[in-house]
Amino acid sequence: MSGTNYKYAPSLPEEFKCRVPLPGTVQALVNNGILRDQVEFDAGIKIVPGKDLGFVYNVPANCIAKESLQVISFRDSGNTSDISYQNSLVFGKDSESSMLLCTHTLSMDQFNTDEIVNIDIEEGATADIVVMQNEHNSSRHKVTFRVKVARKGNVRINVVTLHGAQLDNFFEVDLKGKEAKCELNGVYLVDGTQKINTEVRMNHLVPDCWSSQLFKGILDDKSVASFTGRILVAKDAQKTEAYQANHNLLVSSAAKAYAQPQLEIYADDVKCSHGATSGRLDENALFYMRSRGIGASEAKLLQQLAFAYDVLEKIDNDKLRQRLYDLVESRLRGEFSHCDNCSMNCC
Amino acid sequence: MLEIKGLHASIGGKEILKGIDISVKEGEVHAIMGPNGSGKSTLSAVLAGRDTFDVTEGDVKYKGIDLLELEPEERARQGLFLGFQYPVEIPGVSNVNFMKTAINEQRKFRGLPPISAAEFLKLMREKMAVVEMDSSFSGRGVNVGFSGGEKKRNEIFQMAMLDPALAILDETDSGLDIDALRIVAAGVNKLKRADNAFIVITHYQRLLDYIIPDVVHVLYDGRIIKTAGKELALEVEERGYDWLIKG
Repeated sequence: MSGTNYKYAPSLPEEFKCRVPLPGTVQALVNNGILRDQVEFDAGIKIVPGKDLGFVYNVPANCIAKESLQVISFRDSGNTSDISYQNSLVFGKDSESSMLLCTHTLSMDQFNTDEIVNIDIEEGATADIVVMQNEHNSSRHKVTFRVKVARKGNVRINVVTLHGAQLDNFFEVDLKGKEAKCELNGVYLVDGTQKINTEVRMNHLVPDCWSSQLFKGILDDKSVASFTGRILVAKDAQKTEAYQANHNLLVSSAAKAYAQPQLEIYADDVKCSHGATSGRLDENALFYMRSRGIGASEAKLLQQLAFAYDVLEKIDNDKLRQRLYDLVESRLRGEFSHCDNCSMNCC
Repeated sequence: MLEIKGLHASIGGKEILKGIDISVKEGEVHAIMGPNGSGKSTLSAVLAGRDTFDVTEGDVKYKGIDLLELEPEERARQGLFLGFQYPVEIPGVSNVNFMKTAINEQRKFRGLPPISAAEFLKLMREKMAVVEMDSSFSGRGVNVGFSGGEKKRNEIFQMAMLDPALAILDETDSGLDIDALRIVAAGVNKLKRADNAFIVITHYQRLLDYIIPDVVHVLYDGRIIKTAGKELALEVEERGYDWLIKG
């Protein structure tokens, strides 16, 4: 696309050219766990292949990134065996940057992917990470985010889970320096017999740190979502602020949502809260919309979109937010299920 | 325009409407008054298509169509509008998005293309002025954080946007201070034409100082016990309902 400074990595297959390039984004491709090309941009930000599989991403200290990185990880028929690999993301001291991690499947094989993403937020660094998961109906993908946040570090991860047979998102966050911040938000859409499992371990190890979790899910058909969130506040971690919420909207009567909020608090001067709900569509609101001429299915869609929007609005980048909003909308309209595989025109 | 004949409706086996007959012609304003619990809100909900009520007897013809056969959205697309006594809050759906969707769904039904952005904006501005609504409302969630008066104004605003043939306003005056009442009434009067009609359901005569009805019905215990001209409203205000109930 002309008119934007979108850069494609060299030798990018045509089907992966982002149809909706975001301005100021650099793209890197990871195919079955292998980074295709090393990419360097914006005063020293670098993504290079890991030792075995996976990648190493580095934002140098003091770098205020003007461009952001989009990593597109996809599984395809080139390697259908189970794979597991680790990625390492280091956000250097006082740097500011953002990235988008997308996962896809390109062929209908049974994929099993086990991925560990190590994220180091060094002192004073700010990282804004958006994760978009869009895989087909026989793909199982487990991602473990191991996040370490140093003093005054600030990380936010927004996860948009659109599709996949079984997706497990684990977050293990250590707030290990004073005044460290971590915000985790997620929205997941599941239907059919899809399963999504979210586990968070938010470890407040030192005083004066802040964390917040908001996970919302829309469950249709016989789908199952589970959320286990633990906030641990260590003995000396006074003045901790930690919040957690998990809300599920059950669109069908056969869908199941499990929520296990856990607080483990050893300090005595903390502010912590947790809340978990599961509910159905609001009949009053549906009738109100229908009484204005909005059809029943459109009214349901509006309500579901509104439910998801609480999470989507946390995405700062307007274009990216709108793009993901549109994807959520087409997902809720059932358009994704019509595809044979997962090249869903989302990248 | 609207012919209600022998309408009976119940909820959970309990009969609320026990035989209602009302005939509304184009260009008319009807007022339905009655004490609490007489069935006023049930009547409006049944007409709008709320499925929590079962219609057990009678029929309703609207523009010659069997209204009770239609889904709520189909009724709206045929030009029926219900102003809610308790407008519903819909967090996350902005007023703009809500109205745009409603208008486009109605246009689709009439075989028209979606409204253009410019046309929609112009319409919004025009109709917000009718109810003296601040433009900041448009971006907010439907009725979210609105005061009682703002919610009612929003009902009239939506009515103005959708330009219905028949509007039923269910206790739109309840909980309004005198200024809000004037604005709401002025909104209705501006929208009144020879080819549309209004049914104004109210507990008090007060609203009828501003919206002059052609016909006044008194509803009590699920039945219309008196139908007369606008003077009936004044009589009710003066003497209450007892003389009608006992008579």
